[in-house]
Amino acid sequence: MAEVCWHSGGCHCGAVRFEAALPAVVEAQSCNCSMCQKVGFIHIIVPESRFRLTTGADAITTYTFNTGVAQHTFCKVCGVKPFYRPRSNPDGWSVNARCLDTTDGLDLRIEPFDGQNWEAHAADLAHLSREDA
Amino acid sequence: MSQALNGSCHCGAVRVSFESPDLDAVAVFACTCSFCRRHGARYARDPNGSLHVTAAPGALNPYRFAAQAVDFWLCEQCGVLVFASQESPDGVRATLNVAGADIEALTDRPAQSMDFGEQPAEDRAARRQTMWTPLTLVEASPSA
Repeated sequence: MAEVCWHSGGCHCGAVRFEAALPAVVEAQSCNCSMCQKVGFIHIIVPESRFRLTTGADAITTYTFNTGVAQHTFCKVCGVKPFYRPRSNPDGWSVNARCLDTTDGLDLRIEPFDGQNWEAHAADLAHLSREDA
Repeated sequence: MSQALNGSCHCGAVRVSFESPDLDAVAVFACTCSFCRRHGARYARDPNGSLHVTAAPGALNPYRFAAQAVDFWLCEQCGVLVFASQESPDGVRATLNVAGADIEALTDRPAQSMDFGEQPAEDRAARRQTMWTPLTLVEASPSA
């Protein structure tokens, strides 16, 4: 298992703050689905134990559509989506690389993900939220 | 002849129609500020065009920060940043987030990164008044 360090991030207005434990080399996805394109989400998927909400539980609102499995959480005040519960990894979290305080010291490797054909590709992401990943 | 491009936020509560007499000349910008970056926003505007927004009652939530000069309009239901507007002496002018509104004809264009951070506030206001699109906003339910 790769060594991880805790990194902080948040929405724009500061109401929602989180921390995620990330390895030095981070595998990230830029998804082309209807939702991710509109909010510019860049995914860093982590297991449950490598994510913590530090402030702002009461500032978060949740949007769902289609199957309702994904919990699209965003800040009520500034609309920013710093993280959410993805349908591909309901046992983990997807953190938005755009919302990290800094990516200094991280080797962020952003690959395209074909979310327009989600059913054919979602299984490729399943390992990212495994606790032993 | 003016061409119209239509789009909406994700849930459909906010719909837009962007018209320009010269769509081929419309450029797309990615503002690098701390807010626009987090929303992955990519903007298009045309002072000779028009932006018509139809929003369900209560669907639009404004956000302001820093100089408080601009309203950033968010969909209350799905969180998508749809457009930004500024009151100008000649009316309200807006810039459209073509990513948020899913205007495919414009999201396909390469976005030029812009950093307005060093520009004085009065120059920014003047630029918006000159470059942004005249806005009309009506409230109506999505089925209307």
